Amino acid sequence: MLKIEKLRAYYDTIPALKGVSVEVPEGEIVSIIGANGAGKSTLLKAISGLIKTQQGRIAYKDQDIAGRAANKIVALGISQVPEGRQIFAHLTVQDNINLGAYLYFKRRNRAEIAERMSEVYTLFPILKRRVKQIAGTLSGGEQQMLAIARALMGRPELLLLDEPSMGLAPLIVREIFAVIKKLNESGTTILLVEQNAKTALNVAKHAFVLETGEIVLEGLASDLLDNPKVKEAYLGG
Amino acid sequence: MEKITFASQLMQYLITGLTVGSIYAMVAIGFNIIYNVTEIINFAQGEFVMLGGLIMVFLHVAAGLPLLAAFPLTIILVTLAGMLLDRLAISPIRQPSVLTLIIATIGASIIIKGIAMFIWGKDPFDLPAFSGRNPIHLMGAVIQPQYLWVGGFLIIIVILLTFFFEKTIIGKAMSACAENPDAASLVGINVKHMILLSFSLSAAIGAVAGITITPISLMEYDRGAMLAIKGFGAVVLGGLGSFPGAILGGLILGTIESFGAGLIHSGYKDAFALIVLLAVLFIRPSGLLGSVEVSKFKRF
Ligand SMILES: Nc1ncnc2c1ncn2[C@@H]1O[C@H](COP(=O)(O)OP(=O)(O)O)[C@@H](O)[C@H]1O
Ligand SMILES: [Mg+2]
Repeated sequence: MLKIEKLRAYYDTIPALKGVSVEVPEGEIVSIIGANGAGKSTLLKAISGLIKTQQGRIAYKDQDIAGRAANKIVALGISQVPEGRQIFAHLTVQDNINLGAYLYFKRRNRAEIAERMSEVYTLFPILKRRVKQIAGTLSGGEQQMLAIARALMGRPELLLLDEPSMGLAPLIVREIFAVIKKLNESGTTILLVEQNAKTALNVAKHAFVLETGEIVLEGLASDLLDNPKVKEAYLGG
Repeated sequence: MEKITFASQLMQYLITGLTVGSIYAMVAIGFNIIYNVTEIINFAQGEFVMLGGLIMVFLHVAAGLPLLAAFPLTIILVTLAGMLLDRLAISPIRQPSVLTLIIATIGASIIIKGIAMFIWGKDPFDLPAFSGRNPIHLMGAVIQPQYLWVGGFLIIIVILLTFFFEKTIIGKAMSACAENPDAASLVGINVKHMILLSFSLSAAIGAVAGITITPISLMEYDRGAMLAIKGFGAVVLGGLGSFPGAILGGLILGTIESFGAGLIHSGYKDAFALIVLLAVLFIRPSGLLGSVEVSKFKRF
């Protein structure tokens, strides 16, 4: 579904991605693990169009989307849940959800919005109880749920998740990953980026290891879990 | 003829001050709309007011269009000027820093002023008051009917903007851009369009200010800069980015100016705004209703 070939990205002249190739087959969960600063967020931003300076190919459903504007790429069915949630903290939960469906509002597709909304609230019942609350006052876990819910309102076929476990208690992380699995089972393809290697490898079928802008290992997630190098560097020995 | 007492004098200063203050409030709202989306202080904001007044004079007085046609047409033309400002001066700048963009607005204001001088010359122009010039007397003070139009239009603008930002998805999208442009583009919002829209809205509001104030204080090509300074004073007084603050700041500033001119010396009228501006920056940089966080320029 998504095929990235030899992608390079720079901040000014400093390379952050040095020729990364990653493939995400339709219907799968693919994880990319890597330490802080490895270039995981840069890769997701390049896919979703937030970063422009790049060489290489990003093929989504066989069309090259590299260099397109972020707001155009969402419309193709790729939604990103950015690192650190990036919810609209001064707006209400409901506003955040509505804005997630911005493209459907533009197309005046009310029925679609209502359907998405009920799906999202079924997935995250806690959000439904908080619709009028200002988003910035939610707990960290609820904010992460809201960020995912907002992305889902755009009805993505490919969901990009940037460190959804960051800063959350283990119990909440488990809850969020249960949702990620559920989304995948109902047909959403998922590209997950994590420092939390164990959780990310457990949920994925295929996985990649990113180090300072380069893919150093790839394969079945279950194999990587047993790989001695991965064990030493990412799973605490 | 009523006797002019001190009390009626004060009443007169208050009414005049609130009227001028309403105009400052409109300019301040225009500043905030653009600031909230882009963090730019648009120093060409005052030129929209000037253009509003002079284009209205041209359409209504010189071309003889009826008020009800000239009014919306003027707003449309000034809105187009606002869009041009964004398209020609703001959006072409590559790798913009907020400071370069602010300087671009200052440059644009000088150009707009030059064009206006070329078209209209240096003389001030008058515009007929919307509903005549028979004053209403209240507690010894004289109220021009046009004062009520000014206040009325401020109220209309506030109601429309509240509806826009609270109830429409485009308004919410603008707030989203103001808060987090990257996250906004990730839900499909075209941030550049929202910036264009913010310039359009500000220009339209500036036009209304210019159209309604010209029958009271005339209008000439070089009025924009001073209006921008007054409006900016109102913004700083009320708190950068705050709409209630813009209204409060504008009304207070207008009132201070009017009382200062009446009780101290009318020659210092324009100095009061600057004194207030400096005082706020020294004492409470976040303004009356602004959050301290906002007052620290994020990108400077
Ligand atoms: N906006 C930026 N400007 C300059 N350098 C950046 C920027 N964002 C990230 N980098 C650098 O790019 C590299 C990769 O960063 P990032 O993609 O955020 O890593 P990760 O998400 O894996 O932690 C790091 O060395 C980081 O310092
Ligand atoms: Mg990151």
